[in-house]
Amino acid sequence: MKVKVKLYGTLSLQVPGYKPSQGMEVEIPDGATVKDLLAYLEILETRGAAVIANGRVLKADDKMQDGVSVDVFQSMQGG
Amino acid sequence: MKFVRVNMTDKTIKIEDVSPEYAGLGGRGLTSIMINNEVPPECDPLGPENKLIFAPGFLTGTSLVNTSRISVGAKSPLTRGIKESNAGGSIGASLGHLGITAIIVEGQAPDGDLSLLRVDAQGEASLVPAQEYQGMRTYALVEKLLAAYGEKSSVMCIGPAGEYRLASASIQSTDVDGRPCRAAGRGGMGAVMGAKGLKALVVDQRGKNPDVITDPQAFKEAAKAVVEAVKADHMSAEVMPALGTAALVAPVNAMGAFPSYNATKGQLDGWEKISGEAMAEIIKERGGNTTHRGCDQCMIHCSNEYVDKDGKFITSSLEYETIWSMGGMTGITDLDVIARLDNLCDDIGLDTMNTGVAVAVAMDAGYKKFGDAEAAIEMVEEIGRGTEFGRILGNGPAAVGEHFNHPRVPVVKRQSIAAYDPRGMLGNGVTYATSPMGADHTAGNVVGAYLEKKLDPLNPEGQAETSRFLQIAMAAFDCMGQCFMASVALLHPDGFGAFQKLIEAKTGAKFEDGYFPFGMGTRILKAEKEFNRKAGLTKQDDRLPRFFYEEPLPPHNKVFVISDQELDGVLDF
Repeated sequence: MKVKVKLYGTLSLQVPGYKPSQGMEVEIPDGATVKDLLAYLEILETRGAAVIANGRVLKADDKMQDGVSVDVFQSMQGG
Repeated sequence: MKFVRVNMTDKTIKIEDVSPEYAGLGGRGLTSIMINNEVPPECDPLGPENKLIFAPGFLTGTSLVNTSRISVGAKSPLTRGIKESNAGGSIGASLGHLGITAIIVEGQAPDGDLSLLRVDAQGEASLVPAQEYQGMRTYALVEKLLAAYGEKSSVMCIGPAGEYRLASASIQSTDVDGRPCRAAGRGGMGAVMGAKGLKALVVDQRGKNPDVITDPQAFKEAAKAVVEAVKADHMSAEVMPALGTAALVAPVNAMGAFPSYNATKGQLDGWEKISGEAMAEIIKERGGNTTHRGCDQCMIHCSNEYVDKDGKFITSSLEYETIWSMGGMTGITDLDVIARLDNLCDDIGLDTMNTGVAVAVAMDAGYKKFGDAEAAIEMVEEIGRGTEFGRILGNGPAAVGEHFNHPRVPVVKRQSIAAYDPRGMLGNGVTYATSPMGADHTAGNVVGAYLEKKLDPLNPEGQAETSRFLQIAMAAFDCMGQCFMASVALLHPDGFGAFQKLIEAKTGAKFEDGYFPFGMGTRILKAEKEFNRKAGLTKQDDRLPRFFYEEPLPPHNKVFVISDQELDGVLDF
């Protein structure tokens, strides 16, 4: 399935040529979870990634839906 | 370890030993417990009975990183309860290096009389007439003070808003570059300073008499553990230096909890233009600094220097909460305007949050349209000029709401909420409602628990407990002088353990397990609640405004649903 991904914080720096205004589309296996998506994107657990779709923070074992748009942030405790 | 007591009525200064009841305390712990002991709770916050206390953290002035925070405490003219507002910059470390535990400003100068308090490199304090600085804005004032007392001086000062005794008046603190751009913003501490007749504190940075560390080796080891924890944390080590606190715009907006257009929506149209990512891009293009050290002994460098199209300095540091109050709440999506408003607030001596929300309430009431940048700048300038309407604005959103008879006023205890809508992040609503400080994100911000998926922001379950835990921990960290940006890397048993060891190494005393943060944090909160109760605040003051319970917030269309009973139990020690 295809998933639209936008990267925030310092996560975009690890993807050469990433354009923030466009984001990127990735193809992952059907039934892939949030954890699988992060593994595909090579985002390590230590980077504190938070994946948000439709206003909700997804859990690691939540299944991705075909065609969904997700934003990937780094968690923060406040500002 | 010493107290410097400054009496503004008779212009006397006394040096006192720190009495045993304050042993092991600094920062918020010291200001709050001393205010509860010494300030008559029903006094006029702008009268001679109130006391204004400047206290660096207990570990400020030591070799520990990220400890240049100073707490400013008094009875607040905004909330009418106890207040601690803390600031970064260099003055905390300067006082710590002189072994000064607190400066306690008492009494009141005659009307129109203005002084500054000078503390030299030997720690000698003296009051100096400051009539010539009357009415000055903070940037011009600091330039003159540094010329008069030397570049190696740290300054805390008020601008015109403090002299007008406005409830949103801040006390500005100089950063390591000598600019008055850090602030003890909340709760009108600048008004208390103005009412005392004190324009500035000027402290020499070259003091060499810090408190003795009883066990230097143990201190060194525990301090090293703190450094390692901060280095290993992605927020402190990675996100903060790159984007600063502004990195929160995108995720909070994505979660639908970014209060916009005076908290009528949870997402802002055009938020991309004011995100942390956009800010960093603009600063880089123009040759400013996205990474900047604002405070002494900082290893995080979350500050930035925002410049205009010609590369000329506009402000430092442009922060998440200001981008929200001056941008999200007002509907202004131009970072140049927001940066200008931030600088104006620093210069006039105003809390950017209370002021931005006051502007937003005026817009919501129909005074001007949302998104009107020129009107926002003019409104803040009016505060600086002290016009009649400017003084209403400068007294904050509640005063503006009363002026226009407008009911949608997002405050608790008359202090504006922060950049997390309580309907989209229930736990932040719990903190706003129950913190003795009024609506305050630094008192116990739950956003991290949501982003880390430990808690669902829209499900009432677990919100009260999480807020309670964070409120206790933050009270303790605020006592130490530890910056919030570093504290977040230490919110776990190892981090707490390292702090307990640091306190024990400094004092030579042994504390029971869990003293830090639980014993200490609870003691501070109890004192604060006791003061508020004696000052006349009741459970009804620990509530959010009605509209948060009644008006659903798009996009989730939820209201605040934590019961009164649950709120009353949060800090019921």
